[in-house]
Amino acid sequence: MIPAGDTYLLSRSEQRDSHTIDVYKRLGGYKAIEKVLKEGIAPADVIDVLKKSGLRGRGGAGFPTGLKWSFMPDKDKDPRTRYLAVNADESEPGTCKDRVIMREDPHGLVEGCLLAAWAMKLDAVYIYVRGEYRKPYDRVQQAINEAREAGLVGENILGTDFSCEIHMHKGAGAYICGEETGLMESLEGKRGHPRPKPPFPAGFGLWGQPTTVNNVETIFNVPFIIERGADWFRSTGTEASPGNFLCGISGHVERPGVYEVPLGISAKTILDEYAGGVWKGRKLKAWIPGGSSTGLLPADLIETPMDHDSVKGVGSMFGTGAMIMLDETACVVRASEVLAHFYDHESCGQCSQCREGTQWLHEIFRRIEHGKGVQEDVDNLVRLSKQMAPGKTICALADAAAIPTLAVVKHFREEIEAHIREGGCPLKASRAQEVHA
Amino acid sequence: MTKITVNGREVEADPTKPLIAACEGNGVEVPHYCYHAGLTPVGSCRICQVEVQEGGRPPRVVVACRTPVSEGMVVNTESEAAHETRRECLEFLLKDHPLDCPICDKAGECTLQDYTYSEGQAAGQSKEPRQNFEKRKDLGEKIVLDQERCILCSRCVRFFEEVTETPQLTVSGLGSRSRIETFGDRPLVGNYQGNITDICPVGALTLKSFRFQARVWNLIKKASTCGECSRGCSISVEVLRRGEVKRIRPRYNEQVNRWWMCDTGRFATDAANPAERVSALQRGYSGLEPCELDDAVGVVRAAHGSYERHAIVASPWVTNEEGAKLAELAKRLGATPMFVSSPANDLKDELLHTGDPCPNRRGLEALGFEAKTPEELAELLAETETALLFGERVARLLGQETLDALPKSLRAFLFDDAPAAAPALRIVVGMANWVERKGTWTNIDGHEGKVQAARTAPSGIRQPLALLADLLQTESVAETANGGANAR
Amino acid sequence: MTLPESLIAEFDELVAKYPERRAGLIPALHRCQEELGGWLSPEIMEAVAEYFAMEPVEVYGVASFYPMFKLRPQGKHVIGICENISCDLRGAQDIVEHVCAKTGAPVNGTSEDGSYTVELLQCQGACANAPMFDLDGVYHEDLTPEKIDAILGGLQ
Repeated sequence: MIPAGDTYLLSRSEQRDSHTIDVYKRLGGYKAIEKVLKEGIAPADVIDVLKKSGLRGRGGAGFPTGLKWSFMPDKDKDPRTRYLAVNADESEPGTCKDRVIMREDPHGLVEGCLLAAWAMKLDAVYIYVRGEYRKPYDRVQQAINEAREAGLVGENILGTDFSCEIHMHKGAGAYICGEETGLMESLEGKRGHPRPKPPFPAGFGLWGQPTTVNNVETIFNVPFIIERGADWFRSTGTEASPGNFLCGISGHVERPGVYEVPLGISAKTILDEYAGGVWKGRKLKAWIPGGSSTGLLPADLIETPMDHDSVKGVGSMFGTGAMIMLDETACVVRASEVLAHFYDHESCGQCSQCREGTQWLHEIFRRIEHGKGVQEDVDNLVRLSKQMAPGKTICALADAAAIPTLAVVKHFREEIEAHIREGGCPLKASRAQEVHA
Repeated sequence: MTKITVNGREVEADPTKPLIAACEGNGVEVPHYCYHAGLTPVGSCRICQVEVQEGGRPPRVVVACRTPVSEGMVVNTESEAAHETRRECLEFLLKDHPLDCPICDKAGECTLQDYTYSEGQAAGQSKEPRQNFEKRKDLGEKIVLDQERCILCSRCVRFFEEVTETPQLTVSGLGSRSRIETFGDRPLVGNYQGNITDICPVGALTLKSFRFQARVWNLIKKASTCGECSRGCSISVEVLRRGEVKRIRPRYNEQVNRWWMCDTGRFATDAANPAERVSALQRGYSGLEPCELDDAVGVVRAAHGSYERHAIVASPWVTNEEGAKLAELAKRLGATPMFVSSPANDLKDELLHTGDPCPNRRGLEALGFEAKTPEELAELLAETETALLFGERVARLLGQETLDALPKSLRAFLFDDAPAAAPALRIVVGMANWVERKGTWTNIDGHEGKVQAARTAPSGIRQPLALLADLLQTESVAETANGGANAR
Repeated sequence: MTLPESLIAEFDELVAKYPERRAGLIPALHRCQEELGGWLSPEIMEAVAEYFAMEPVEVYGVASFYPMFKLRPQGKHVIGICENISCDLRGAQDIVEHVCAKTGAPVNGTSEDGSYTVELLQCQGACANAPMFDLDGVYHEDLTPEKIDAILGGLQ
């Protein structure tokens, strides 16, 4: 049974042609920007509402959005050009929610951009979309075109002095371009090499100008909050993690999908009530709460509430809220090999620890999975992970590779050691040898 | 200047530069690869990590190349945490690094070796097979790239982007598949390629002219000045046992060339090792024949005493000290000293090369020497009775044509580092060249560059100052001070 | 080579969106790959470099960073199969085997007759509809061998 609740994020997506401006407006869209412009709500007040709402970034870090917006410099003191870069690079394994928003409800994103532009006194917005998301890209571009025709994007929006330009930008693969400074480098037409911080984007962002980078879902929340108020937003979720979120649940479940649920809901409820439980009548063995970088957790932690503090409390992270389920036939070493291969593939290569470490972790997991593991491999996995993170590199990709490694050793050491002892995968789950280089 | 404390010592730090510059500038070495004071810091190698404490916050480990200094900052470059992170970085860098030390030119001046030893990371821990990349990638006439040795510090890429502003190298691919490449198989171009082999911390980029030529710890290195143009870049002349100049590299000089030098100067090693040297020749019935040096000098002195119209023609390689003596001689002989002024060449660029092949033009002009082209000299010398052609390369700069055209009646005396033959030449005396003598040149901007001998001149080859003392009939200058062992 | 006029016109419009022209590089490379044969040859990179007043080596450094840019000729149809965790858990490896068998292309290679290139991809954001592949820029999700046969059978 799907529990009743106040859903809003996906409320329009169910409708036919929800991606068009007519349907969007019919369902109450563009009321928030209208309200702000007609009632003359000051930019600082918009940021204030966001702060009060407690909205946290939905791209993985969970940073308070209002606070992030307030980092933009005072425009009177710093008159440089100012930007919002919307992070639509969605590449965290397991995560497929921003795609739904862009494809089915792009005007919500557009309106969110307009509100952000007003609040932070921006000169332009760039939406950086991962290159593979062709249809979502086209839908958002179409929405911008429709909005422009309706006088909602461009000069003198709704007949006021407020102008806002929104540009689409296409990426070309590379997970690291989802890192905010890697995104900016890529947008500037360079290799996606993250920048050391400080300086932070609000001081030195796109082309060295003040920039805020926000996830799609984060921006998508803004019109709802502005229209209905901070108190309304706080009516779901938890104190520290208010609101609903889009949970993509995938892997060994009956009904994988993207579901709108309140923060703080039990992971088990999502699994059983929304996704139909573990598939094929099997039992849960392991699960990932928030995208591959958050690491595996054992089945006995499945009743963890899905909010930032609770997931942190069990030694993992909320991340993108993308849940991945592994049943009893799944091999955690194989899963670790798949993920280690991913981080090896995606490291930009700047930092010594990450460039060499991601490759090293991958090689070790691969050997173990294919029967060539040795006892010291387990200790090396831990040692190398601790040498890669936290905070030792320019960005957190090294952490993203290290955390799942530490997690699998912590929770599933026995299974790894069984591989080593038995010279192969006890579950006979090994992939074909050398399927990929 | 900002006051910070480094390893317990209070020092002054330039607030416009990163912390690592403050450490290095105050004699505290911080291991680093990707950082170079002449390039934009990137903070990617991660080895320059030091422990800092500022503003009452707990100590933290930071990369010194990307950390600004702050008033009162307390820095510890030797803390356990700093050493630990260095060891970790080294372990990662050694994972795929080939065990090439026994055959690698960089051994002995390789900071991967040095830091590995000093941090105690004795052996690589990885059991994984190393990756294979191109090991002898030809980057053109001058440079070879070993992609396996490369630690991806990207200094070479940034050098071409920022210093010569001619991007030629890139990191291609990403992650553990990253490697340094040119576009397609294009060779490197330009007159500054050699610098990337200096700044490469390991033996990934090597000079074809130096590959397998010498072990760097067998080289004797002397600080000197380049003479290939009037920039006078500060250099290090590096000589092997039997005195062969094996390598020339730039030395840092804030005012003149900073960290760089051009390839014209770098590859002047051949000119520093001329094939043929002579001690003294005198014209006899069958041409120029070996003679006693005393006799040769005596002939010149006699000629200077007997005739009226004399010419003193110096090479622009003559030092200020030699020039002063030559000017004195010219005054005594009633002649205006001159020097061979070669025309500007097309090597002039925006960076260092001035296009003027006369290293001491400015110094000689200040001493009263007049610059004359070989054509002008040909005319002028035809009017005189004696001509003293003095200085390294003076014959080559005049040119064989000019020399041959000199009238046989002219009593021409050649004092040069390499011999030449022409009908007008009565005497040829061999002298030490710029690698074998000491003095100063004044560069295009008025900076004095010290020339220092990197080896002793061969037996029978004399120091110019000593010869000038003889010509002036004064006491012979003590030769040992010049590094020349051959006393008269 | 010279870029076709139509692409130049597109690029002129494209770079106007940014304060610095170079930001148009990656979208421009996409268009070149789409219009000029499905891969970025050295000649194309040189022409693009000229348009952006960059050196070819800089364009190459950028192009070689991004998995979507192909620096070698591709087959007529390019099939990219996700091998990451959510797809792997739902049988991506079986999909890989099936596709390779049907197309005659080796993994990360091109079939001998040049019809198909099969490559392995990282997470494509279709996790809730795994397993999937991207065929010539279009996602096909919730794949089964039967579905694959139907899709491939419908191709020219």
